[in-house]
Amino acid sequence: MDISSVSDVKSHCVGTTAVVYASDYLNKLTGEKIERECRRQLAQGCRALVIDFADTQLVNSIGISILLGIIDVAEKNKAQVVFADVNNQTVELFDMLGLTRHVALAKDEQEALLTLSTTVSGFDSTPTVH
Amino acid sequence: MHGANSSDNFRRVLGRVNRQDFVGRVPELERTLAQASPKSNGRGLLLLMKPATGVSELLRQTYDQLFNQRTDVIPVYFAFTRQDTSAVHAAIEFLSSFLQQYIAFRRNEPALCDAALTLQDLLVLAPSADLLWIEQLVQLYERVRSSNDKKELVRLCLSAPQRVPPHLGRSFVMLDGAELAEDLNGDVVLGTEILRVFGRSKQSFVLAGLRRQILEAAHNAKCNFELLDLLRLEELTFDEANSLVDHVARRQQVPTSREVRDLLVQQFGSSPFFISAFLQAAREKNTALISYLDCERLYADELLGGHLNHHFQALLEEIAPELENRLMLIKLLWEGSATEEKTASVDSWRKRLHLSTDECEDVLHQLHIHELVNWNGATIDVTTGSQTWKDFLKVSYRLSVLNEPRALVVADTIGDALKRAPHTMSRHYKRLAQLGLREVALQFDCQRVPEVLFDYASFAKKFKGVSDAEVLAGLESESVRLKLPQTIHVASCLSFNRDLRQVCEEQKCVVVHTFDDGIYSDAQEVIWLIARIDSKLEVEVGLAEVWQERLAELARAHSFGRYRIWLVSNEGFSDDASHYLEARNAFCSSERQLSLLIDQLAMTPTSRPSAIETSDEFLIVLPMGEDNELLAASTVEHIARRLTFPPAAINQIKTAIVEACINASEHSFSPDRKIYQRFRLESDRLVVTISSRGILPTNVGSGTASTTNNEDDEATEERRGWGLKLIRTLMDEVEFERVDEGTSLRMTKYVRNGSV
Repeated sequence: MDISSVSDVKSHCVGTTAVVYASDYLNKLTGEKIERECRRQLAQGCRALVIDFADTQLVNSIGISILLGIIDVAEKNKAQVVFADVNNQTVELFDMLGLTRHVALAKDEQEALLTLSTTVSGFDSTPTVH
Repeated sequence: MHGANSSDNFRRVLGRVNRQDFVGRVPELERTLAQASPKSNGRGLLLLMKPATGVSELLRQTYDQLFNQRTDVIPVYFAFTRQDTSAVHAAIEFLSSFLQQYIAFRRNEPALCDAALTLQDLLVLAPSADLLWIEQLVQLYERVRSSNDKKELVRLCLSAPQRVPPHLGRSFVMLDGAELAEDLNGDVVLGTEILRVFGRSKQSFVLAGLRRQILEAAHNAKCNFELLDLLRLEELTFDEANSLVDHVARRQQVPTSREVRDLLVQQFGSSPFFISAFLQAAREKNTALISYLDCERLYADELLGGHLNHHFQALLEEIAPELENRLMLIKLLWEGSATEEKTASVDSWRKRLHLSTDECEDVLHQLHIHELVNWNGATIDVTTGSQTWKDFLKVSYRLSVLNEPRALVVADTIGDALKRAPHTMSRHYKRLAQLGLREVALQFDCQRVPEVLFDYASFAKKFKGVSDAEVLAGLESESVRLKLPQTIHVASCLSFNRDLRQVCEEQKCVVVHTFDDGIYSDAQEVIWLIARIDSKLEVEVGLAEVWQERLAELARAHSFGRYRIWLVSNEGFSDDASHYLEARNAFCSSERQLSLLIDQLAMTPTSRPSAIETSDEFLIVLPMGEDNELLAASTVEHIARRLTFPPAAINQIKTAIVEACINASEHSFSPDRKIYQRFRLESDRLVVTISSRGILPTNVGSGTASTTNNEDDEATEERRGWGLKLIRTLMDEVEFERVDEGTSLRMTKYVRNGSV
């Protein structure tokens, strides 16, 4: 699996699914970087997005609002979004602000990919380097 | 030199009474003494005195303290007197007093202060170390005096204390009776010269005088107010005044009864000047003051020809030297006062006094600074002034204007005073027994108090017949709380409508200007109209209706946009009355509720920020931006651990802090771009206050963002409003406060036995 880093945001593709890694603090700046990366992946033909929060310790409301923007963009592109490895504190915040109504949560990246493999047609688990 | 101030060695120098007989004014004495210390750094102190409150003894006591301390501070006290005939005369007297007191201090011989000495005598007495500079000063004085330059001479005399060589000590000048200096204006405006000389001397000084006059003089002299401190001298408290009567009566050997002592305090409005003058008169006439009759007989004598008469006569003679004018002035003042016409026009006075505009204004100015009238330029309010002044006016009017027989005036004066005395005391005792509405209203400062304290029906249902301890416990658990507004001004309703004096006493009905949440905007402004109704039983609906209508009419008459009526009665209100008031959104309480409210106000902290007071409080200031909210989050994490918050709760607090910081950065338009954070640990909670200078966020209180034109922007802005929503969800109590310039968000998180 080859992981690229565009604008400090790590990502890689598994078939038509892009996995994007959030940093330790999700705020306006890091949120916009993730958004840009997700838009880039969608523009290149990705059919699903996994955002991995394994490193994320703290999120703020601006970061969350940007995530909603990403979900909106993904919907317009008919792409699914899964959030992976979100800690309990962050899940609580997502719940409070209604994010969990629009996005699936997965225990980790593998579970996210597995979830998508069962729902996204044409899912290809072969990693692709962008 | 060093201090030596044991009571054994303490010598009375200028004080007219011993230190132990100097009653009240302890904080003021400490304040004037502090002014003499090097820490005051050459600042001047303006002692602003309400008329007849007495300041001379305070300054004399300060002098004695400093004289006895024997430090390098050389006290100088000078009082302007009515015997001073000109500015030059007063300035020369000052120079002479200064040198005499200086040499007395240097030689440590208090008796020299009162000795009759010439300049030549002073030269002989001067210590050898001082001889040179004093000789030079005297020679310079002789030269300037012979030059006939009055202004130069006045300046030389007043600036003499600055000529003391620094190694010999530094003068601390206290000037008393600044209002008299104004009467000496001729070629030289003495008051202005005094302030100019001392204001620029870089030596600490005190200038005491009438509050209305002294500030005006300071402005006229273009004083630098940054280098001046102000100390206001009001009447003594009841206890202090009572103690003063006791001390003076014993010193003057005048037998008094407790009843008379209380009456004197009330009758003279706790004025040290009037009380001392009256007891001195009692001594001179060898009169015991045991009964009200003893007291009022002497009072009548005093008004017609004693110290009190002399005091007011001298004032009137200064204000209106011509007898004809003086009589007309008495007529105008008394007739205006007796009819209680609130105001008279300046023009009508000018015509009746047959004075030019300037002359009339001069008279009004004098009356105004002595607070015998309130003059605002176009109109004159003659209803002001002490009761003693009004009584003096009345006897003067009857004797001098109406030419009534003296015996009749004396008899009537005694009779009137005797008839009034029980009412005076009754009002006083009622005031003591009742809690002052004004004082209560002044304490309103955004505290949260149980709402039931403003609803008699609910209170009676819950707490009638319940012990105080149970009531307190019950109030503690009351979840419905009323957030009080912040009071900015309280005045008697009589100040708004004189007609109300026919239905209530001055202190029983107040108009309170407030702002909800301490936010100064039209929308937040609320006028509270509070009245205490006299009733031995529960107030019935009829009386409640009368008062509700009365206060509503007052609100309408003065176009109070939002107002709140609150009625208080001793025994509360009947059910019908309570329902009637509730339907009109009015509050009603019993005296017991009011008393409990006062207790609550004493216990409930205000939401206003205070200085760091305890070791469990931390303050950090962070620049906005650069992800600095993470520093705040990290700090609060360490602090929260001290209270054993569980990790999940700590995360919640951290997130809330981050959101608060972002909110402050995004919405405040802060000029200094700083976030002020205060963390206070209490036994069961952590209180975090995040403040910033700037404007109040538009989404405060609603949890939503400000409106925008663009639909996408609206969605984005709505999401930005999530910050407050998160804060409110994550923390237990959240409160936005408007501070003078900026906003303050107070968030509280409670420790809950390991659970979040």
